[in-house]
Amino acid sequence: MKLTRRLMISALGLAMTAAMPSFASAEGLIAIITPSHDNPFFKAEAVGAEARAKELGYDTVVMVHDDDPNKQLELFNTAIAQGAKAIILDNAGADATVAAVQNAKDAGIPSFLIDREIKESGIAVSQIVSNNYQGAQLGAEEFVRLMGETGQYAELLGREADTNAGIRSSGYHDIIDQYPNMEMVAQQTANWSQTEAYTVMETILQANPEIKGVISGNDTMAMGAWAALEAAGRTDVIVVGFDGSNDVRDSIKAGGIKATVLQPAYRQAQLAVEQADQYLKTGSTGLDEKQLMDCVLINGDNADKLETFALAE
Amino acid sequence: MMRAMTAILGLLLALTALGACKIVPNPEPGSENAAAQTDEDRMAAKAGEIYAARLVPYVSGKAIDLPVLTTALQGGLDAAGKAHGVRPQAEGSAWNFLLKGQGTVVQANRESRAATMDLDVTGDGQADVTIQLGPVIRGTALRDAADFIVFTDYRDQIEFAKLARALNDRAHGAIALPEGDLTGRTVRFEGAATLRAATDPVLIVPTLLEIQP
Repeated sequence: MKLTRRLMISALGLAMTAAMPSFASAEGLIAIITPSHDNPFFKAEAVGAEARAKELGYDTVVMVHDDDPNKQLELFNTAIAQGAKAIILDNAGADATVAAVQNAKDAGIPSFLIDREIKESGIAVSQIVSNNYQGAQLGAEEFVRLMGETGQYAELLGREADTNAGIRSSGYHDIIDQYPNMEMVAQQTANWSQTEAYTVMETILQANPEIKGVISGNDTMAMGAWAALEAAGRTDVIVVGFDGSNDVRDSIKAGGIKATVLQPAYRQAQLAVEQADQYLKTGSTGLDEKQLMDCVLINGDNADKLETFALAE
Repeated sequence: MMRAMTAILGLLLALTALGACKIVPNPEPGSENAAAQTDEDRMAAKAGEIYAARLVPYVSGKAIDLPVLTTALQGGLDAAGKAHGVRPQAEGSAWNFLLKGQGTVVQANRESRAATMDLDVTGDGQADVTIQLGPVIRGTALRDAADFIVFTDYRDQIEFAKLARALNDRAHGAIALPEGDLTGRTVRFEGAATLRAATDPVLIVPTLLEIQP
């Protein structure tokens, strides 16, 4: 009697365990790992990936690594332990991430990278990144135009370990340095951070009161710089950002920051999920591993059409 | 025993003598010398390898006459692209076209660092294409029009951007035009252009420019 009951309970337990995944979703689990959602850019990625995954019948788990490679490695182990079918990743460092993605690959779990590259190919299935060089050139051309091709300016750089910081800066300078009357008086990192950018901008402004423009490696730093400029009563300074956030859009519409460059982050995240789905179903995405998506200049002319890192037609 | 000692001594002497020579190897890819190079240097070298040997003949072989493109564009950029263009696989990528033709110089701006020259190809007196003369050449048309140059083969965007820049530099370096006003002269060209919209002006990075007699 006792034995039968216990067996029945176990059988029920087994049945439930076995049935659970199909109750939860037909297609399995997709893990979505990004930097902190404090930056709306990364939040948009997570939201975009999650929405598309659910549409395609997957369960999702959304996690943040806070740009800490060790934490990222733990999250990968969690995803592997949870039996994720695929991982969508905006990574925590071009070098440091290689090992985590390799671990997943060894466990039979394909990774689909967005926004940031890693320094190896052949480990992730897809690496879909914004064409930061093309985007930076668009931003720089607009910056030079707004500056009237002349004057002192400062550049705010992103986090050094991030490839995107270097590529944007080099895109900016490939354009700006062609204009001999554009004079860079300061170039400092604010590590993508709004609060750091505020402090850095205050210091730059004190040392260079003649400054006429600021070109920033991303929108959060542009917002920080703009806040410092406003506080100092220097709303005449031309600020150009990069990302296409709603915050900067609103600032552009209010006559604050002058321009930014939209990375199609929302679509990029959705595309990564679509490629994961294709790969899981057919064994191939049918595309090159590394894909560059073009960016779009945002200024007063089209800011109205921008919403959550996507431009309405 | 004694003979063996002599032999060893002789060998040591020979080695000592060798040690006085300084062997300077040619730098090879993957060697320490290559590792010490900047991205810019490595991509300049890569551009040197492929520009004349592969890219110029590739453009010559695939280029279409400008009117072929103009006609195809009437059916929309995507249709023209599918028929005659090259583009990277990423969603939203621009189409790149390889073009050739001959036209009369209607206007030239050779003062700018980003010097250009406008050509009338159809003979109506209006400019149909703009040729980029540099030294500053904008865009990545040459790199992106070449189907044998694939982003996955490069470490990251920085390398890939430097390659585009280095190919543009090669294109500029190969231009040998006479000084002075070229207005009215006939020029034969081959090159690459990127189009993001059917109505975009055709801005060509030249791989061949010849003043016709």
